[in-house]
Amino acid sequence: MASSIDDLDLKALVAAERRNNRPNWPLAVLALVISAVWIVPFYYMATSIFKTTEEYSQNHPLSLPASWHPVIENAVTAWTNAKMASGLLNSMLYSTVGAGLAVFIAALAAYGLTRFDFRGRNLWFMLIFSGTVFPLQMYLIPLFFTYQGLNLLNTHAGMLIFYTAICIPFPVLVLRNFMNGLSREMDEAARMDGAHELTVFLKIILPNCWGPMTATFLLQFTWIWNDLLFSTVLANKTDVRSIMNALQTFQGSYASTGPNVVMTATIIASLPSLILFFLLRRHFMEGMRISTV
Amino acid sequence: MAVVKLQNLIKVYGSALAVKGVNLDIPEGAFTVFVGPSGCGKTTTLRMIAGLESISHGDLLMDGERVNDLPSRERGVAMVFQSYALYPHKTVRQNLEFSLKLEKLPQAEIDRRIDEAVSVLELQPYLDRKPAALSGGQRQRVAMGRAIVRQPKVFLFDEPLSNLDAKLRNQMRVEIKQLQRRLGVTTVYVTHDQVEAMTMADLIVVMRDGRIEQTGSPIDVFERPANEFVAGFIGTPQMNFIDGSISDDGKAVLPSAGIELQLPEGRFDLPALRQRAVRLGFRPEDIVPDGHGIPIENGQNITAPVTFSEMLGNETLLFGRLGENDFVSRMQRPRLVERDETLNFRIDLDRIHLFDQETGESLRLPRS
Repeated sequence: MASSIDDLDLKALVAAERRNNRPNWPLAVLALVISAVWIVPFYYMATSIFKTTEEYSQNHPLSLPASWHPVIENAVTAWTNAKMASGLLNSMLYSTVGAGLAVFIAALAAYGLTRFDFRGRNLWFMLIFSGTVFPLQMYLIPLFFTYQGLNLLNTHAGMLIFYTAICIPFPVLVLRNFMNGLSREMDEAARMDGAHELTVFLKIILPNCWGPMTATFLLQFTWIWNDLLFSTVLANKTDVRSIMNALQTFQGSYASTGPNVVMTATIIASLPSLILFFLLRRHFMEGMRISTV
Repeated sequence: MAVVKLQNLIKVYGSALAVKGVNLDIPEGAFTVFVGPSGCGKTTTLRMIAGLESISHGDLLMDGERVNDLPSRERGVAMVFQSYALYPHKTVRQNLEFSLKLEKLPQAEIDRRIDEAVSVLELQPYLDRKPAALSGGQRQRVAMGRAIVRQPKVFLFDEPLSNLDAKLRNQMRVEIKQLQRRLGVTTVYVTHDQVEAMTMADLIVVMRDGRIEQTGSPIDVFERPANEFVAGFIGTPQMNFIDGSISDDGKAVLPSAGIELQLPEGRFDLPALRQRAVRLGFRPEDIVPDGHGIPIENGQNITAPVTFSEMLGNETLLFGRLGENDFVSRMQRPRLVERDETLNFRIDLDRIHLFDQETGESLRLPRS
């Protein structure tokens, strides 16, 4: 059979290929409906912050706001009444320092666990990792009494120690797996190049771990930022309390000011996390990749 | 440049012996190749020289000084790794200057050394690239450059070509050898590829099971293998072996092949070998099909069927049968061979090897 590429009906081929790629309409509609249901709370929040308290209470919760400018007044009320400045500052301190220290310490641990050959290596790892297995609430009561004894309740240091410690195990898991994938010949080469152990860690291993370190940093940052339970129990004085704690207090005492203001405060409180994710998104996505080069 | 001496080096992993007493003098400026099958201890020995593995027992001397307990950075050695082990987050230039910066050399000296290495290795266009943007051969060159800039006393190579494709491997083989000649640095090179060993080495060290089987120049190891293992390991296709014994009149009697070969005087101490059980060895190029290759003067003719043949273009490998034994023959200026075609072969009697059946040791007379 003589066949040549020139004899083919190219248009028919293209049409056939296109038919294969045609969207599945019923499925698309279903997906749209589910998405819409998902989005309603966000819509509710996003519209409410543009309403005055009267507007909010008189109209349907899902109605569109009359104008955009009440948001400014809402924000100012929220900011001053909820003492958001100090809450945000505290949370920023806990989240950046806590998550940062935790990830750095986890990197040190992962380096030791992957680079040093010592007995019981896996046992140590399991011991560290067991920290993530138990429900965190379990630590609450012993922690409270220990902190009370050590005078760490209502202190920045106490909160930082707790957040750092609680955030270490998960990054250890991630970074240990990642560092296992980094060629050991690379650090042997560095050692032969004259690098001491700390130089190998800081100059060779760490720069290759930015991806997973950023990813775990972001996750731990968000966890600390959103933590309400521990911050309520361990630090409830105004000058040390976290933003989530401040929001909770605000909701309790100022509910009369209107849900629209509380929601404005909530939105403001979630902005730092969002901005951080946006800024570090590239590293975050890189860090989510399991494999290395 | 340095003289490296290995004195009874032993390495223990857990309770297993990986290296079982290696004694070796590596001459100054020589290209020494450790070759052997995987698990023979060649890489472990290299890593002990590098200082990446502790030495369980024995002494490692460089220029007469015992360096067992010196960390690798103080031994004056540089290594090219199998995976190249480049720093992926650094550019080529940063990869090259890392060790020099750690040494706190003045910037002018750093630049001078990098310029030199870059021009030798033709890396100029890639200085600002990261390793991920380089081809395999370029990465290989950067790895070598990283070793060169340190101006080490000893170069160590750990199977550096095994990640390259065949063509590039041949090219880099020549480049490494030329570079070493030019720099004249004592070099230890580990490979499992006997072609690399033969083509690159000044001194071949054949290892097996944690021990050195033979040390010598490539031609020595090829022509005068010390034992059956070396004879079989060096040379492709490998040497043919047939069991037999020596008769009183100096013939090798090979009952399983149904032939007797008259052994030449001078190569073996025939009177002493009488009635001895031996393993006879001959290389594929020393059993030549009639009319193909250089005519053999002192030979013996045999006929054998060819069961299979491999056309390589410039030559054909013939897989024949001699009684109960398979053998391989190299056919120069090949022609098409039919399956099961019976051919006349001529065995070169002056190039026959004999090994003790028990110990595998060569029975050839030492060079007079």
